[in-house]
Amino acid sequence: MSSSYILSLTTFVYLGATAIYLLYWIFRLEKVGILGTVVTALGFIMQTVGIGMRWHESYQMGYGHAPLSNLYESLVFFAWVTILVYLVVEFKTKNRVIGAFATPFACLAMAYASFSPNVQDSIQPLIPALQSNWLLAHVITCFLGYASFAVACGFGIMYLIRGDGPSSSYLLEALPSRRALDELMHQTIIFGFLWLTVGIITGAVWANQAWGTYWSWDPKETWSLITWFVYATALHARFVRGWAGKKIAYLSIIGFVSVIFTYFGVNFLLSGLHSYGSS
Amino acid sequence: MKSKANDSKANIVVRFFSSVKLAIFLFIILAITSIIGTVLPQGESLQFYLENYGPFYFKIIKNLHLYDTYHAWWYLGLMGLFSINLIVCTIKRLPYTLRLYSRDYLDLAKDDLLRRPLRTKWQAREKTNPGHLRQEIVSVFSALAGKPRSRQDVDGGQLLLSEKGRWNYWGVYLIHISVLVIFAGAIFGTFTGFKGRVMLLEGEKTDHAIQMDSHGNVKKIPLGFDIKCNHFKVDFYPNGAPKLFKSDLSILEKGKEVLHKSIVVNSPLTYKGITFYQSSYQSVPDLKVKMVSSDGEQKIFDLSAFDRGLWPEKGILIGILKYLPNVHGAPAARVYVGDPSGSNGDAVWLLMGNDRELNIGKNTYRISLVSAKEKYMTGLQVKKDPGVWLVWLGCALMVLGFGIVFWVGHRRIWLWIGEKDKDLHIILAGQTNKNKVSFEREFEKIKDGITKQIGEQ
Repeated sequence: MSSSYILSLTTFVYLGATAIYLLYWIFRLEKVGILGTVVTALGFIMQTVGIGMRWHESYQMGYGHAPLSNLYESLVFFAWVTILVYLVVEFKTKNRVIGAFATPFACLAMAYASFSPNVQDSIQPLIPALQSNWLLAHVITCFLGYASFAVACGFGIMYLIRGDGPSSSYLLEALPSRRALDELMHQTIIFGFLWLTVGIITGAVWANQAWGTYWSWDPKETWSLITWFVYATALHARFVRGWAGKKIAYLSIIGFVSVIFTYFGVNFLLSGLHSYGSS
Repeated sequence: MKSKANDSKANIVVRFFSSVKLAIFLFIILAITSIIGTVLPQGESLQFYLENYGPFYFKIIKNLHLYDTYHAWWYLGLMGLFSINLIVCTIKRLPYTLRLYSRDYLDLAKDDLLRRPLRTKWQAREKTNPGHLRQEIVSVFSALAGKPRSRQDVDGGQLLLSEKGRWNYWGVYLIHISVLVIFAGAIFGTFTGFKGRVMLLEGEKTDHAIQMDSHGNVKKIPLGFDIKCNHFKVDFYPNGAPKLFKSDLSILEKGKEVLHKSIVVNSPLTYKGITFYQSSYQSVPDLKVKMVSSDGEQKIFDLSAFDRGLWPEKGILIGILKYLPNVHGAPAARVYVGDPSGSNGDAVWLLMGNDRELNIGKNTYRISLVSAKEKYMTGLQVKKDPGVWLVWLGCALMVLGFGIVFWVGHRRIWLWIGEKDKDLHIILAGQTNKNKVSFEREFEKIKDGITKQIGEQ
């Protein structure tokens, strides 16, 4: 059994988790909620094993590198971190409805990685530019940021569909209050912002070591800066009267669109130094 | 009166430059305008934009410097405004933060405690020897909340405060200042450093780097020493992807080797503040071509890379136009042979082992490719950037600042304890500005500890 087979199976596990969390949201049965957590945790373990196997396979092929070097591997890692961040949030808030808004991101990423003809799942050797210890630091920090922003986007959507009142409908009353969502959104955005910043910095250190320039306005770099500006706006918006809440929720969604563009759009639509991320 | 009007005018200016609204406006404008340079190709010739975008857009691109967006006057202006915003904001908030930082949080009245976000109170009668319960409660508080400072005679009782992370207020400053430090490093580096290229054949050396500006003008930058490429190596994976680019380099001072190092991508060489990065390579032919004239004379030309061979007595120039290492199993080269003016000559394909005859002037020449080897030419990126350490310092400060803002909160827990009508009155109060959930848990623990102590006596 190959790692990519196991990883493609996790797509369905996360799909199942999403469905179970939705059922939990609708029927509010504690047992269903627990099942959702169990299935998500199982998917996470399965995916961890898959990633470990892929790492091992790369050594068997004589390449020997961490599975973080191309689009397929980064998508898998993105889904993995998203689930990790979500499980931490669930553990801290004890609210399982959030799962219905977070697990779909992981499921979509895995589905795209496993089944899109644009994404190659073969293990490739590292070209000279990628042969650096900074690869690990750079990719891990960036994706911690991306995954946090995915969860923050989930919170933003929840905030917008959650009305102002105490319980405007049966479905909405299960969501955390707007105040709680605002706080969660803020915390996740700060967390993601920290990692995005560290990701940009590790990228700069690496670029300086490989090419002699820490910043060259390559489209990917520029888009990560654009994303940084969007979240900087979200973080400062709290201090302007009348900007808190709804506007920040919109910004967390716009920010995630910018993350997605930084991640995919740049690879497919624009060319630059990061072109190895597109195959 | 007049000075007052000036005052308010100055105030308006300060308020404008220090406002969060300006910061947000700049974030949004910078985010939107930054998109331009990722969509529009950058650094092309003006001709390129005229041909691809038509005269109307060409005018906009030219005037707004959109062919080099991130160095355009208006983009740098926005960055400058952003810096001013940061500086003014930092200075303006300083007194306020200093007040928050240096305030004595023990200087509170008993009733103030009851207005804290978390608070609880007890009333208990001492059953055992007097003063014992009071002592126990204080020691429980010290054990659970951390070593407190205390003040006597606060509304007839004792006030204790355990405080942590007061310096949390400086985290935001650290982040804001770090941005300025990074800008300073980038500007300093731009004015004191340079970027260039060096192309070296194996065995070749140079004492300068080449810099090309946006108009295609070439500038030579002296290095102050010689750099020599001894050897270049390229390796491929079985699937054809490149595996290794490696240059074996020597630094020479007055012809003497002072440093010898092999560099690969991601592992450059630095000497006297100048760093050499492996960036590209070219494979160039190293050929020997023999010409035998019909008058019996002959000459062998060493044609390496872009050299040209001359045979002055016969008025002949020979040069390589193209080289193919493998044509039906043998190397082949397309060479120009003719007089140096180029007016009378021919370009012919020479295949090794397959001689050609050519008539030039009054003689006939028999031309043959005697030997064909390949030589590598390594391409090095050369950089001097004295400002880079400031950039890294700024980055480190920024990460440190985020760490403080995210993880450190200014956490305060008060305990007031006093006697009234032979009863012991106790108030526990708490406040924090970060991570309120885990603080609530900590507060509950202290509360339970005290409740237990009262019950146990």
